[in-house]
Amino acid sequence: MIEFFRKIYRSMIFFISSIDQAHRIKAAEVTEYELRELENLFVLLLMGSFTGIPSPSSIVSAELIPHLSREIEVLNKRAEDAFDAFNELAGTIGID
Amino acid sequence: MKSLFFTGKGGVGKSTLSSAFGYQLSESGYKVLIVSLDPAHNLGDIFASRLKNKAMKFTDSLSLAEVDLAKASKKYLKENTKVFEEVYGYLKVLNMDKYFNILKYTPGMEENAALIEIERIFSEGTDYDYIIFDTPPTGITLRIMALPSITINWLEQLIGIRKQILDKRYTIKHIRDGQMSPEKLEYKESDDTVIKKLYKMHDKYINLDALIKGENNTVSVVFNPDYLSLKESERLLMSLDELNIPVRLTYNNKYDSCLSEDADKIEKQLLTGRKGIINQRIGFSDHKNNPGYIIPDNLTANYLKEY
Repeated sequence: MIEFFRKIYRSMIFFISSIDQAHRIKAAEVTEYELRELENLFVLLLMGSFTGIPSPSSIVSAELIPHLSREIEVLNKRAEDAFDAFNELAGTIGID
Repeated sequence: MKSLFFTGKGGVGKSTLSSAFGYQLSESGYKVLIVSLDPAHNLGDIFASRLKNKAMKFTDSLSLAEVDLAKASKKYLKENTKVFEEVYGYLKVLNMDKYFNILKYTPGMEENAALIEIERIFSEGTDYDYIIFDTPPTGITLRIMALPSITINWLEQLIGIRKQILDKRYTIKHIRDGQMSPEKLEYKESDDTVIKKLYKMHDKYINLDALIKGENNTVSVVFNPDYLSLKESERLLMSLDELNIPVRLTYNNKYDSCLSEDADKIEKQLLTGRKGIINQRIGFSDHKNNPGYIIPDNLTANYLKEY
C-alpha cells in the first residue's frame, strides 16, 4: 500500500516539475528570441560595410570579429530565414 | 610634456614652420621631439639627415622622427591577423590565409595606424618637454583627429548592445534554472571577451581624445595670404570647432608687404570672433641688404608666454 502511494507521490512530483520545466522553456523562448535578434544586430553593425549600412572604423570590427563566431552563426541563420521572420515571431508569442 | 600639431593646407609651410618652431624651442633649452606624420616626408630633407620611426638625436636637446604610416599599418595588421589566423587556422588548409593580407587596403587603416603611432610617441616621449607633430594635409589630419571621438561614439553604442545581450543571457539562464541551456553562453562581463575588448578599446580612445583635446596640446593652423588657402583654413577651423579641438596659434606664412591688403582681409575673415588665438605673420623682408624669406627667431615667444 505504502509503495502504491509512494509511486503516486513520485509521479505527482514528476508531473508538477514537468509543468514547471515546460513553463520555464516557454518563458525563456521570448527572451531567447530577443537575444538572437540582439546578437544578430550586434554583428550586423560590425559588418555593416557588407550590407551598406554605416559601420564603425574597420579596426573595431577587425578586433572583435575573431571572438564572435556564435553571433556570426546567428546572423547567417537569420539571413537564411529572413522571409520567415514574421512566422517565427508569431510562433514565439503564440499567435496561430 | 606638451604637444603641438601644425596643420593646414598642403604647401603652406607646415614642415618649415614646425621645424623652425621646434629648433627654436630646443635652442631655448627645452628638450624637443619633432615628428613628421606626413606620408610625403620633408623633415629629413630640412635637417639634411636620414630619419626613421625611432627618434634620432639631432642635437642634445632636439630629436627627430619620421613615422612611416604604411609600415605602421602593416605592423598593426600583422599583430591583428595573428589572432585571425589562430581562430580561423583551418583556412590555411584551403590556402586562403593569404587573403588576410588584403586587409591592409581597408579604408581607415592608415588613420588608425597614425593614431596608434601618436599614442606610442606620447607614451614613449614622456621625458621630452615638447613634442611637435608635422601633420599631413588637411583632409587626412582631420580624419585622424576625428577618429577617436567617432570611434568612442560607436564603442559606447556597441557596449550598450553587448550589455543587453549579456543581461538577456543571464535572464535565460535563470529562467531555465541553469540546467537546460542548449549551449554554454557567457553572461558575466568578466567572462565575455567581446565586452572586455570593447572596454579596452574605449579606454584607449578616451585617453587619445583627451590628449588631443587637452590643456597640454596646442593645434596651430598655418595659412598663406591667398584665397585658396583662406577657404581651406576656414573649413579646417570649422571642422576643428566641431571636434572641440581648440586652436591656439595661427601663422600667416609667406607674407609679403605687397600682399598686405589681402593679408589683412584674410586674417579678419579667419580670426574675427575667435578668442585666445595668437597670430603671427612670417614672410619676405623688405631690407635691401637682407632680402628674401626670413623666419623670425621669436617664433615661440608668444606661445611660451601664453601657454
